Amino acid sequence: MSPFVPNTTATAPTCPDPGSLEQVRYACSLGALASVIAIPGAVPITHCGPGCATKQFHALSGLNAYQGGEFHVPSTNLGNREVIFGGAERLDELIAATLRVMKADLFVVLTGCIPGLIGDDVAHVVGQYRRRGVPIVLADTAGYRGNNFTGHETVVRAIIDQYLGADDGPREPGRVNVWSLLPYQNPFWRGDLTEIRRLLEGIGLGVNILFGPACAGIAEWQAIPRAQFNLVLSPWLGLEIARHLEETYRQPFLHVPIIPIGARASSSFLREVAAFAGLPGSPVETFIAREERDYYLYLRDFSAFYAGCASQYRLPSKLVVIGETAYNLAVTAFMIDQLGLVPGRQIVTENPPEAVRGLIHDQYHRLGVEDGESAGVAFVEDGYAAHRLVRETDFTGHDPIVFGSTWDGELARRLGAPLVEIGHPATDEVVLSRAYVGYRGALALIERTYTTVVRASTMA
Amino acid sequence: MPLNLRAPQAETREQRLGTITQWNGTAAQLARDSTATHGCDKGRDQGGRRLCEASTPFAQASMCAEHIAVTNATIIQESVVVQHAPIGCAASQSFTCRYYRDLAARRGWELEDPKAICSNLSEQDMVFGGIGKLEVAIRDAWSRHRPKVIFVAVSCATGIIGDDVEGAARALEAELGVIIVTLHCEGFRSRHWSSGWDVIEHGILRRLVSRDAPRQDDLINVIHLGGPDVFSPLLAPLGLRVNLVMGGSTLERLAEMSAAIATVTMCFVLSYLATGLEQEYGVPEIKAPLPYGLDATDAWLREIARVTGREDRVEAVIASERARIAPELERLRRALAGKKGFVAAGAAFAHGLIADLRELGVEVDSAFSFHHDPTTDSGDPRQDSLTHLVETWGDIPHFTVSPDQHFQAHAALQRARPDFVICRHSGSIAALTARMGIPVLPIFYSNDGLGYEGLLTIGRAILRILPRRRFCQDVAAHSRFPYQDWWLAQTSPYAPITGPV
Repeated sequence: MSPFVPNTTATAPTCPDPGSLEQVRYACSLGALASVIAIPGAVPITHCGPGCATKQFHALSGLNAYQGGEFHVPSTNLGNREVIFGGAERLDELIAATLRVMKADLFVVLTGCIPGLIGDDVAHVVGQYRRRGVPIVLADTAGYRGNNFTGHETVVRAIIDQYLGADDGPREPGRVNVWSLLPYQNPFWRGDLTEIRRLLEGIGLGVNILFGPACAGIAEWQAIPRAQFNLVLSPWLGLEIARHLEETYRQPFLHVPIIPIGARASSSFLREVAAFAGLPGSPVETFIAREERDYYLYLRDFSAFYAGCASQYRLPSKLVVIGETAYNLAVTAFMIDQLGLVPGRQIVTENPPEAVRGLIHDQYHRLGVEDGESAGVAFVEDGYAAHRLVRETDFTGHDPIVFGSTWDGELARRLGAPLVEIGHPATDEVVLSRAYVGYRGALALIERTYTTVVRASTMA
Repeated sequence: MPLNLRAPQAETREQRLGTITQWNGTAAQLARDSTATHGCDKGRDQGGRRLCEASTPFAQASMCAEHIAVTNATIIQESVVVQHAPIGCAASQSFTCRYYRDLAARRGWELEDPKAICSNLSEQDMVFGGIGKLEVAIRDAWSRHRPKVIFVAVSCATGIIGDDVEGAARALEAELGVIIVTLHCEGFRSRHWSSGWDVIEHGILRRLVSRDAPRQDDLINVIHLGGPDVFSPLLAPLGLRVNLVMGGSTLERLAEMSAAIATVTMCFVLSYLATGLEQEYGVPEIKAPLPYGLDATDAWLREIARVTGREDRVEAVIASERARIAPELERLRRALAGKKGFVAAGAAFAHGLIADLRELGVEVDSAFSFHHDPTTDSGDPRQDSLTHLVETWGDIPHFTVSPDQHFQAHAALQRARPDFVICRHSGSIAALTARMGIPVLPIFYSNDGLGYEGLLTIGRAILRILPRRRFCQDVAAHSRFPYQDWWLAQTSPYAPITGPV
């Protein structure tokens, strides 16, 4: 029995306990330091062992489409002395030095496994600075408490509760807070959030996108309480945040589980949001019409290739999708609904909370119904088990394609299938602003997918 | 002090070598102080004072020993590594996979993913202990992959909650009939990540080296950090076969190390293994300075020839190699004339790269070492690479020891203002340098600068990156680091950080 006493003030739902893991496809809770780095003007301060922060960020950024990012993160780099005598004093010293050396609008202290296990009173240390007016909050992101998805919700909630606080001010009609892709975990988050912002602004909304190059910085976070509503644009991530905001600021939220890729999904998404927000119909339809015009001109011309080269290049017909739910579901839906592939094996890898698994299952179940092959979904984090599932799948008469990560390269080769990297880790992609969602993103996804398919065929 | 190979834990470098991670001054002073403190009877200049580590209240995320130990265990073929840890420790799996596949392509191995499993501990396990999950992970490793060796690496968390990893490993080793090597690499145990090398080498020495391999008089162990085999072309003319170990090895190569006629280490940061092979298996360790620069490479080859009884052949090899590279070396020296370089790497590796640059005629007045070992495990003064550097090539006026700290490297580069930087660890220093408008050559495969050919390899690589200053300067002019103005202007890496905000 260890002397460890668990933190009973849980702030995020912990994930089900999945057992041993091979080919890890996410980071630990502390990996949410990436979410802080994704907020322009925010700096994380990590209270953890010497390698913890670097490992998480290097995996999520460097080994994930070479995203880069402002990683010069203050860290206590805890050693023997702190493990024996406690690390709170060292954290105090580090925060003081950080304020002297670094410039930021907001500091977020994230704790790792060690301070949780040795019982550092971190809240007391951080609280002293906050009482002095320093913009600093504390997030308990001990690595044993969950992954970077739950850590993300913990970090966001810490900022809301400890930095924004109560707000009874007027609400701004037509302003929305967007909770969508997990920054860095998804290699395309920067371009995608930019495209999502563009779409929502296109129909007349004011947008707090909150993360990435399209975010205006801390001012956007300060505007969170004044928004008319929250939009959760993901299968589950952000739901807890939206519920919390509903309670805190009495803001309603709209949950759209499938991030739209392609014109059909994007247009119906925009109409749903417009109706929820009570926007006038005509400008919305004008924007949709203009977007659809461009989109379908490209699709019209793409059809020459897609129809004409089907046998020459063995254009794939059956899906394998392995990765976190948000992209997994969005890409599965697009490939089935828009391009006419059939579902094969869809495997969700980020360990969503039990409470949302039924909802996720229902989303997949609706896909592919018209051909009588409804899509299924399996929740498997372990890469070894996931690959076994795929190898047991019947692809008779079909040409499979794999949407996944670098871990799926060997599997794809064995299947004789092209691999399109859409998730962490992605070491064969260099991504800057590329987006795969919305109208324009869909065109980029088609380009990448069929360039990969053609190359696999011509270079084999 | 002999290495204690009976204990499952390796002693840390701080305990064995007096390793420090923070210091600032001249290279000559650091060498003198190191000798005075840790090498008193080695016949060196005693004019130093006690080696005194610097400190600073600010620190940025660094690396840990677990990362080094686990990475280098994972790339050993036919093994599976079990990380007994919460999931975050396993975040490096994706890096290790990429690294292994890159190595495999360069070394001609089969392209496959290396195998690592994390016991994936949760809050419950922190309360009740994680041994049950460790046993599951070890059984998974065995049933899935049938490896010849299973490494079990501990973590900060399992170290603190006190899981009996050693007991579980011994019990399952007996039950499954597979060798299980424990790696005691809790990140908090050592202030420097390079202790991770000692941990994996300790495990290899204890469990994976053959006790009864017949001596092979033409086999020489070469211990390296990782990368292509640049040694065979240099040593084959002496009639030596290279047993290249660490940085990815087969178990056969590791077992065979005890059969070799000698061992050379390409970076003294890894010298635990060489010293251990001499101590436990009687394989002599070559104690010449590392082969960076012409004269040092000559001396290194002569020492290998002396120890392995090949003195009759060595002068011809030296003459022929020197003649072979001479014209290209001259061209490179002319092209690099007037350039100023800056080196950022770990200890002996940094010393070697500085020697290379000076041999190429590049000015180096500043360097950044990720840690400093005042002595090596052999304690032999011929392995005192810093003193050798200073005696051969002169002092380095600005010599900073810092564990890859971005803010300190920024100040050191503000002071040095070099034309280019050459660095190890492609992460923070490389990105920093480019953002400061300075082209950078990160050395991912650490053998690039070795021997005669290494001078050409490095010289050509520098010439390739110099024109990238156009990119670097453009980015530098349009981005800013989130430091306070006073630190952005700072040129002293250990400038005091005190006073009110």
